[in-house]
Order: sequence, then C-alpha cells, then structure tokens
Amino acid sequence: MSGFEAAVTGLGLVTPAGVGVRQNWEAVCSGVSRAADDPALRACPVRISCRVPDFDAGELLGQRRAHRLDPFVQFALVAAKEALADAGLDPETWDGARVGVVLGTADGGTVTMEQQNQTFLDEGARWVSPLLLPMHLPNMLAGQVAMEFGATGPNLVVATACASGATAIGTARDLLAADRCDVVLTGGSEAMLGRVTMAGFAQMGALSRRNDEPALASRPFDVDRDGFVAGEGAGILVLERAADARARGARSHGRIIGHGATADAHHMTKPHPQGRGTEAAVRRALADAGTDVRDIGHVNAHGTSTPLNDRVEGQMLGRVLPGSPLVTSTKGVTGHLLGASGAVEAALTLLSLQHRLVPPTANLTNPDPDIDLRIPTEPTACAAELALSNSFGFGGQNTVLVAAAP
Amino acid sequence: MFETLKDILVNKLKVSPDTITAEATPEEIDLDSLAIVELSLVLEKELGLAVSEDELSEAGTVGDIVRLMDERSARV
Repeated sequence: MSGFEAAVTGLGLVTPAGVGVRQNWEAVCSGVSRAADDPALRACPVRISCRVPDFDAGELLGQRRAHRLDPFVQFALVAAKEALADAGLDPETWDGARVGVVLGTADGGTVTMEQQNQTFLDEGARWVSPLLLPMHLPNMLAGQVAMEFGATGPNLVVATACASGATAIGTARDLLAADRCDVVLTGGSEAMLGRVTMAGFAQMGALSRRNDEPALASRPFDVDRDGFVAGEGAGILVLERAADARARGARSHGRIIGHGATADAHHMTKPHPQGRGTEAAVRRALADAGTDVRDIGHVNAHGTSTPLNDRVEGQMLGRVLPGSPLVTSTKGVTGHLLGASGAVEAALTLLSLQHRLVPPTANLTNPDPDIDLRIPTEPTACAAELALSNSFGFGGQNTVLVAAAP
Repeated sequence: MFETLKDILVNKLKVSPDTITAEATPEEIDLDSLAIVELSLVLEKELGLAVSEDELSEAGTVGDIVRLMDERSARV
C-alpha cells in the first residue's frame, strides 16, 4: 500500500468561490473573501455565511430532478458532471460495475430536515413530505451519484465531520489499491446553512461574530480571528490507478500518494492542545507516501479561522515540517465548507502543484505571533512537487492527504 | 379539472409539462410511490380535495386522476 499512486484525472467544484474549477482557482487566487450577510439567518446570533453564487439547480439538473434533491446532493451532482467530463470518461460506455462512489458529508440534507421540522410544528405530522428521508439521508449522496451515472461498484458515504471529504478520498484510494474497482468518484458535499444548525454552531462559539464586516470574518492564522464562516458546496475528484490512467492516455491533475488518518481521542470539539492526533496523521500520511517531511513544499492547512484550530495546527506544522513549506488556508476566501472542505481543498492543493502557485490566505493582516509559518498574502510561486492537505473534524478525527504534482 | 391537475403537477411536483396528457400513465410522467403521496398531500392542501394515496395508486392514467378529483369536488 505504501506509495500507492491514485491519479486524479478529473476535478469538479461547486463552492462559494463559484461553479466550476476555473472559476474557483481564479477566485481563491484573488484572495477576496466570499463571506456575506445572509438574510436567511436573520434570526440567528451569526448572520453571515458563504453561499454558492448563481446556482440554479433546476437549470443545471432539470426541474423534476432538482425538486427531489436536497442542495447537498444537487451540488455534488453538478460537480461530478464537471469532474467526469474533465476526466474524459463516458458513463454511457464504461463498465459501471468497476466504478465506485465514495463521498463524505458531515450532516446530509440539513435544510430539508429543518424545513420539514417546521412543517411538522406549524401544520402537523400528516403534512410532512414523503421525500423528507430520501432527501435527507447522508448516504443518498453516493446513492444519487450512482443513479445519475450508472456506477454500480462499491458505494458509500463517510462521516468524519469536517474531515469527511478528505476521509472519502483516502478511502477511495484504498479501494483502488485493493482492486475493488477501477474508477472512483470521490470527494464531499455539504449544505448545512439551515438556521437551527447555524444557531447551534454559533452557540458552540465556533463561528466568527463579525456580523457587521462579513468580508473580514474568515481570517485564518490572523491574530484577530474569532471563528469560522460556514460555507456550502461540493468537491468531486475522479481517481484511477496511475498506471490505468497512463494506459488510457488520460490527463492527470496529479496524484494522491499518501493518506494518514487518526483520532485525537481527547474532546468532542477541542483539538488536542499539543496537536497529538494531527501530528500523528501528518506522520502517517508521509510514511504511507514513502516520503520525508523535507520533501513537502506546500500545505493547504485546515486553517478554519478559529482561535484554537489555527494555533494548534499552526504550531504543529511549524514543529513537524522543518523545510518551511508555503502554507495557505483557502478558507479565507471560501469559508469553511465543513464535510466538503477536505475534498475542495484537496482539489485546490492539486491545482497549486499543477500551476506552481500557492493561493493567498485572505484577511491575514496581522499574523498570529504564536504561529511561525510562511503564509503568503499574495499568490506565490512554488516549485513544490509534494504537498499536504489537512482536514480535521469535530470529534477529533484527522485526515491528511499527500498530493503529488502531475 | 385537467388543467388544474396539470398546473399542480408542473408547479408543485415539477413534472415536465410536455409529458402530461389525459392518456399518460403515472410512470410516463415520472410519478413513483413517493410522488403519489406528495400529490395526495398537495391536492388536499391546495384544493381541499381528499384523494387518498391508495386511490391515486390505482389510477391508470392522468385522466383517471382527474375523474377522482371531479368526484371529490362534486361531493364538496
């Protein structure tokens, strides 16, 4: 397993930074935060979010199909279409039995559940939609992707909170290494911007309270950070064994060559103060890739903009990676896409290696003096061949992926 | 009543308008068992017509559903 190379032959992104990979890359390189006032959250303590702009599900998926899907599935289907077209794979002709789907989400169809709960309270149980559960269940994410594209191989959804998308990619790579399938559609999707859920995040103290200056709210590694800005969206990657991809002449965005997964076993929401679990995940990922800490030239950090995560992660990276890699958190621009973030950021990490350019961390005006890292505030040239993408979830679940340039 | 049903199918259940004819079967307009329950709820909520999901399931065509709606509205 060590050093197993999964080629990434297709990418699809639907995020607050835009619909489409090109739009996303340009937006994250601009360094302009997408956080904005959110009228749907008027009754909440925190009224800012990062929503996907200009997303017309009926237009993109057909009115009838969109009507029966929660946004967390709509985002994934649109991203998966882009990723498959990018990979040059045609679901009309492929052997669907050899195509797996492994996706991550933290919560599933949050908004549908909240809306139907309101219907229950306002009107009574008999008016609850028969579509509630088919739209809400987290596993529908992979199920609906399979239905759309005729992928009848292994099919599952993983939940490791904000590491879910990265856990899915690591798991997809394992399936390829074990020869359970030849192609895997993998990644994550999330649409958790329901007002009850957002009130819950606010009550935890997890969210930035900068209601009056939303564009400045997501500021990873800045000394004045005060929490994350919740976002929504999906990131989908097409993975194939690198030898198979080469044999069919597929273009590759790079490879996933290492995966480290650990648990802090410490606290429901707080990271271990010394970064015990996250450090172990980095070390396992590097060992899995058969590479050394000195080879890592870039890190797309988890970097949520919460006081605790950024301090513990920043200090861990400074301690573990002696080569002063260029570190960024694209959450400054996109906000925190929760269960989708690990997949979106794995895609952005691959694009950084491919373009040899590290996107800036938005709003980093006063770097936290307790964190000693090279974090660019402008797009910065980077000749790295290898990079890390970090994703850590509530519950202490940590996933680190090692990405390699094409 | 056909136009009323068509309006509900198009605007509430998002069925493609071109597929809806009096002769079309529920399958032909993409109504599965979940959509039948949904339609039963919408007919009652929007029009006050109590047509059960069992009755709708037995309807062979859109025209049959219209006849059920006519019966119920006559009773009202």
